Amino acid sequence: MSKTGLKFKILDAVYLAIMILPIVFGIVLQVLTKPVAEGINITGARVYFTIPMPIQNFPITESQVNSLLVLIVILGFCLYITHGMTQHISLKRQHLAELIIEKVDGLVKENMGEYFKGFSPFIIAILALSAFSSLITLFGLYPPTSDINIVGGWAVLVFFLITYYKMKCGPVQYLKGLAEPVPLLAPINLISEFATPVSMAFRHYGNVLSGTVISVLLGSALAGLSSMVLGSLPGFLADIPLFQVGIPAVLSIYFDVFSGCLQAFIFAMLTMMYVSGGFPAEEYEKRKARKKIKNK
Amino acid sequence: MQTLEVISVNLWQMAVSLANLVLLFLIIKKFLYKPVKKMLESRQSSIDSEYSAAAEAKEQALSSKVAYEEKLSKAKEEADEVIKSAVNTANERESEIIAQAKKKADGIIRQAQTDAALELKKAEDSIKKEIVEVSSLLTEKMLQREVSLEDHQQFIDSFIEGIGDENDAD
Repeated sequence: MSKTGLKFKILDAVYLAIMILPIVFGIVLQVLTKPVAEGINITGARVYFTIPMPIQNFPITESQVNSLLVLIVILGFCLYITHGMTQHISLKRQHLAELIIEKVDGLVKENMGEYFKGFSPFIIAILALSAFSSLITLFGLYPPTSDINIVGGWAVLVFFLITYYKMKCGPVQYLKGLAEPVPLLAPINLISEFATPVSMAFRHYGNVLSGTVISVLLGSALAGLSSMVLGSLPGFLADIPLFQVGIPAVLSIYFDVFSGCLQAFIFAMLTMMYVSGGFPAEEYEKRKARKKIKNK
Repeated sequence: MQTLEVISVNLWQMAVSLANLVLLFLIIKKFLYKPVKKMLESRQSSIDSEYSAAAEAKEQALSSKVAYEEKLSKAKEEADEVIKSAVNTANERESEIIAQAKKKADGIIRQAQTDAALELKKAEDSIKKEIVEVSSLLTEKMLQREVSLEDHQQFIDSFIEGIGDENDAD
């Protein structure tokens, strides 16, 4: 395919549209449905509609919709940066694609070892989903990561992975591992097993939500401060939001951009640590060797 | 519009978000990871093949250089040999020619000597004959009678022989 052909440009435009349109859609949806806030109110995600389900009703909330939008954005991003990829780099975006793959590959190799090198795409997925979900606040959308259910789902998946790799040497070995170093500690070990996903979910969700909460609180505090300083002035001068200019932006850079990316990184790092740390590599190697001997 | 509580655990939402993460994993694997890896691998293999081709070419060049040098030295040796053999043959030919020339010269000299001896003998013979004839003529004139040439011849011959003998004896 030629780099300058019309077909190439059209595909490029389509991929860019896949990246940008979901965000536009999210903003439009927000503008159409969000009621004007009155005073300070910190709530969870807004519910668009509820699907009745067994056990619990399934509410389709902002966080669900937004995480789906993020999914589509990431799909568009992947398609866009790998578009027109050749052995001889001809487009700048290819550098980005190679950089992402190489960095994450290196990270996974360094933290998890050779056995887990197939984890790279999963780690990229966690990093991308978490970071994009947090960064979506930059467009004024509700960040899915500040919903415990979203992050909890990821943590549950990570918990499954941890347990799966811990059970690689059989359930007996897993149960034996729980009774170490003393059988008396087995209940505590069991609790710590289940505490892992909970702590991961709460860490991520709490960080993002606290950022939002602090931003809201600070915003109203600054509004109060402005009205206190300028309130005695006549007319429209009293309504000038003196302190609301600039200061929230700085906080937003910290809470939305820095904290969001940091939490994504932490979540990915913890995933790698827990999965590779729980895997009994030596025991597994021994078993493999024994099996080989048996087969012979 | 209704909103959720800040902390509200909902299993279905969790399940959907889990599924989302799995879906994203598949998307990333299919649309980002695999294509980039494939491209990197093909690039690596092409680089490797380039390198091996270059190494091969270098090796070939080196081996051809060695062969060339060998050939050159061989050619030099051959040339030396050719010159040496040429000099040898020339020397041989020279001595041969000289020897031949000597032989020929010797032959010529010998021929000349024998010729000379023959001539001498012929001359002697003819002189003898002439002497005989002259002397017989003289004696005829002197004696006024015919002398048989044969008798005379015999006589003269013995006489000359005698002179020769006397000369030899001297």
